[in-house]
Amino acid sequence: MVALAGLDLRVPAGQTFGLLGPNGAGKTTLVKLLLAIAFPTSGRAKVLDRPPGNVRAKARIGYLPENHRYPPHLTGEQVLHHFGRLSGLAREERSRRVTTLLRRVRMEEWSGVRVHKYSKGMMQRLGMAQAILNEPELLILDEPTDGVDPIGRREIRDLLLEQRERGATIFLNSHLLSEVERLCDRVAILKDGVLRREGRVEDLTRAKSAFQIEVRSASPGVLEAVAARVPGLTVAENPGPGGLPGGAGPGATSFRGTWLELSGDVPALNGAIDALRRQGVEIASIQPRRDSLEDVFVRVLEEGEPQ
Amino acid sequence: MKVAAILLDTGRELLYRKTIIVYFGVVTLVLLFFVLALQTDVANGVIASLTVAGLEGSASQGGFRLGDGAEGPGMGGLTAEMFVRYVQLGMAFFLYPLAILMSVFATASLVPRMLEKGTIDLMLSKPITRPALFLSRYAGGALTAALNLLYLTLGLAVILAWKTGVWNGGFVLSGLVMSFFFACLLAFTVLAGVLLRSTTVSIMITAVLFVASLLVRMPHSNRDWPLLITSRASRFLAQAVVETLYYALPRSYELVQSTVALIRHEGSVEWGAIFGSAASGALALALAVVYFSRKDY
Repeated sequence: MVALAGLDLRVPAGQTFGLLGPNGAGKTTLVKLLLAIAFPTSGRAKVLDRPPGNVRAKARIGYLPENHRYPPHLTGEQVLHHFGRLSGLAREERSRRVTTLLRRVRMEEWSGVRVHKYSKGMMQRLGMAQAILNEPELLILDEPTDGVDPIGRREIRDLLLEQRERGATIFLNSHLLSEVERLCDRVAILKDGVLRREGRVEDLTRAKSAFQIEVRSASPGVLEAVAARVPGLTVAENPGPGGLPGGAGPGATSFRGTWLELSGDVPALNGAIDALRRQGVEIASIQPRRDSLEDVFVRVLEEGEPQ
Repeated sequence: MKVAAILLDTGRELLYRKTIIVYFGVVTLVLLFFVLALQTDVANGVIASLTVAGLEGSASQGGFRLGDGAEGPGMGGLTAEMFVRYVQLGMAFFLYPLAILMSVFATASLVPRMLEKGTIDLMLSKPITRPALFLSRYAGGALTAALNLLYLTLGLAVILAWKTGVWNGGFVLSGLVMSFFFACLLAFTVLAGVLLRSTTVSIMITAVLFVASLLVRMPHSNRDWPLLITSRASRFLAQAVVETLYYALPRSYELVQSTVALIRHEGSVEWGAIFGSAASGALALALAVVYFSRKDY
C-alpha cells in the first residue's frame, strides 16, 4: 500500500501551514517522515535545511503527536523536565521554562499529580507545553485540539498565535477546518496519499470568476430587471453571514436583499456595473466571492476538483 | 544529559512497577534478619558460639545446624571464614534466582512500553539518536538490576563482616557476575521486545532461552552422546543445534559455577564463559539496535 506518492511540498519559514485530509490520507505519515519516525521508500525531504532525523535539527523542533502518551509514573512537572532534558535544556533554563509554561497552560495546580490521572484536555495542554518547551523554530502539531472543549481550543489557538508572533513556523495537522482557516497562511489538502490542492488560504477560498455586489438605493423591481438582462447576475435572496467574505460584519443583515451575485469574469463584471449604473443603482461595494475552507475541502474530496 | 534522562526515567519506571520494590523489600528483610537475629562469638577466627533468633548453633557434619542446644555446646572448630561462606552460598542459592526472576519480570516491559503508539513518536522526535535511545533504555534496566544485586551482596557481606570479622569480597564479586549474567539475558529480552512488542512473550522467550542455555551445557560437555543417534544426518543436525545454542546463548551454567567459585574461594572464574556470554549478549543487543534503528513507527 502506498501511503504517500508524488508529494512535492515546501513550507517557508515563519508561516503557519495546515495539512488537511480525511482519515488515511497520509497526513500523519508525512509528519512521521519529516521527523524520521518512519522512512520513505523513495524520495527525500529536508527539515530546517537538514535531512529528517538530524539531531541538531530535532533540537529546534517541537512536536505534539496525535494520541500522545506520557510515562504514567511521572507528574506533569516531571514530564516537562524529562522532555526538557531530552531536548538538551540546561537545568536553570529548564526550570524557568517549566514553571512559566505550567502557568501558561493553567496546569500549575496539577503539576504534582501523576499524568495517568489527567483528563484528555489536560493531556493536550501539557502536550502543548511539552511541544514548545524548547522554544522551537518549527512546531509540528498533529491534531492538537483533538478531544479538547471549546474553551481549551481557544487557549490552544492563543498559544499558537503567540508562537507565530515569536516567529515559529507551524505545521498544523487538523480535522477542524475552521481552526485551520483562522490560523493558517497556507494549506495543503491530501487525499489517498496524493496532494490535491495547495496554496494560500485566501487564494483557495476565493471562488473562480464570481463576485458579490452590494447595492443601495434601488427602486422596486429594478434589480430583477437588470439581472434578467445581464448573463450570470442574480439577486441574492439571503446572502447571510456565511455568504459574505470573512463573515458578514456589523450591520450585514440590514443589507438583506441588496446583494447581487455575478458568475463571470472581469469584463462581465464591468458589464454588470454599467447596467446597474445606467438604472441609477448605487453600488456600495464589490468583492470576489469567497468559499469557506470547508467548502473547498469537501469539493476537493468529493468532486475531485483538480489543482 | 539525554542519556542520563533516559536512565533516570527507566529507573523511575521500574520503581513504579513495584516488582523491584518487592525484591528490594525481601532483600531488606533478609538483611534486617541478619542484623537483628544473628549473634556470634568469634575467638581466634573460630566460631565459639552462635545463636540465630534465639536458636543455638552446633557443629554438624560438614557444617553447622541450629537447635535448642541439646546436641552440646561448641561449633566443632567451625571457622568464621567457613561460616560466612556457608551463609553466603545459602543466600546466593535462594536470592540470586529471585533477583534474576524479579529483574526479568520488571524489565521485560521496558522496550514494548517504549514502542507503544504515542510514546515512541514523541521519543523519536527528540534530539537523540535511535541507538542511543535504545541502549540507554537497556542500560537503565541492567543498571537497576545490578544496583539491586549490589544491595544484597554488599549489604550481606558488610553485616557478616561486622558480626564475624570476616570480609568475603568474593560474595560481592559473585553479585557482579550475576549482574553481568542478567545483562546478557536482558539483551535477549529486549531483542524479543523490539521484534514482538509484547511483554508477556518477551518474558516467555527469556525463560525458554535461560532453560535452553542450561540444558545444552550437558550435551555440549559430554562428547559421546551423539553416538546414541544412529542416523548420521540426525546426529549432525542434533550436534549442530546443541553447539549453536551453546555458543549463541549466555553460558548460564558456567556463570553460576563461577559465582560459587568466587564465594568459596575455590577454583577461578571461567573467563571463557564470561567472554562467550558477553559476545552472545552483544550480538543480541546489536541485532535489536539495528532493527530498532531501521523500523518505521
